[in-house]
Amino acid sequence: MNNYDEHKVIALLSEPKTQRKAFEMVVRQYSEQLYWLVRRIVLTHEDSNDVMQNVFIKAWSRLDTFRNDSKLSTWLYRIAVNESLDFMRHQKSMAAVTADADESSVSNMLMADRYFDGDKAAAMLQQAISKLPEVQRMVFNMKYFDDMKYSEMSKVLNTSEGALKASYHIAVKKISEYFRSND
Amino acid sequence: MKNEERYIRNKMGDANPFRVPDGYFDSFPSRIMEQLSEREAVEIPMRRSFVSRFRGIMYAAACILLAVFGTVVYINESGLRSEENADDVVASGSTGSGSYTYEEEFADYVMMDNTDIYAYLSGE
Repeated sequence: MNNYDEHKVIALLSEPKTQRKAFEMVVRQYSEQLYWLVRRIVLTHEDSNDVMQNVFIKAWSRLDTFRNDSKLSTWLYRIAVNESLDFMRHQKSMAAVTADADESSVSNMLMADRYFDGDKAAAMLQQAISKLPEVQRMVFNMKYFDDMKYSEMSKVLNTSEGALKASYHIAVKKISEYFRSND
Repeated sequence: MKNEERYIRNKMGDANPFRVPDGYFDSFPSRIMEQLSEREAVEIPMRRSFVSRFRGIMYAAACILLAVFGTVVYINESGLRSEENADDVVASGSTGSGSYTYEEEFADYVMMDNTDIYAYLSGE
């Protein structure tokens, strides 16, 4: 049974003597859901693990930036989104330098990944998602896989709900067209 | 748009194709905590309650309401006093006692009495 109470945890985080213990509670509570958010962006387990460590190390070092006027989960999601995007931008710039960019590399890479159990269609979906612009990709993943409310997404991505809805609609259209064209 | 989303879901299903090593999530917190630097605790502001966040606005609103209420009461009472004084004047038949209105002052100045004024107004 989950005993996590955000108000109590934040109170413990505010106390010097219990801050570290409370942070461990936060890690336990949110690590899995943040992991899947990150994994759907960076795709491999090894990279996700690296990003996740950066997320919580950053959250610990910037704990004083948590203003306590939003949910802890929102604040953590925001850090996870930024770290994932930074990671992808770095990877993209490395791929451009080494000329490793390959249209079908995502699908092939996933099919060869021991931590990917999906079939070809699942790999193609990830391929299609990887082609989306950054924000559309985030929005699609959060809505399609996590069914996150637009109001919550708006706080994480600092974008209006209307823009997010439009972004999702466009992403869905592109992905369905990708599947239809590859049928 | 719903049709397109349904098309994707029908093609993909709901299964999560990604996997993690056994025990990954169980051991993750302790692995993270080992990496966190020992440092002095930082201050986190406690969430301000609704009352404390809007205390200033509530005080201002209360002051405005009090001022409005006081003004309304004052005007009503002033109006009542004026009517009472006017009644006193009419009852006493005197224009020189109590409050002396502008019209009464004018009437005295032109040496007109009520009969003259009524006659003038009725066009006689």
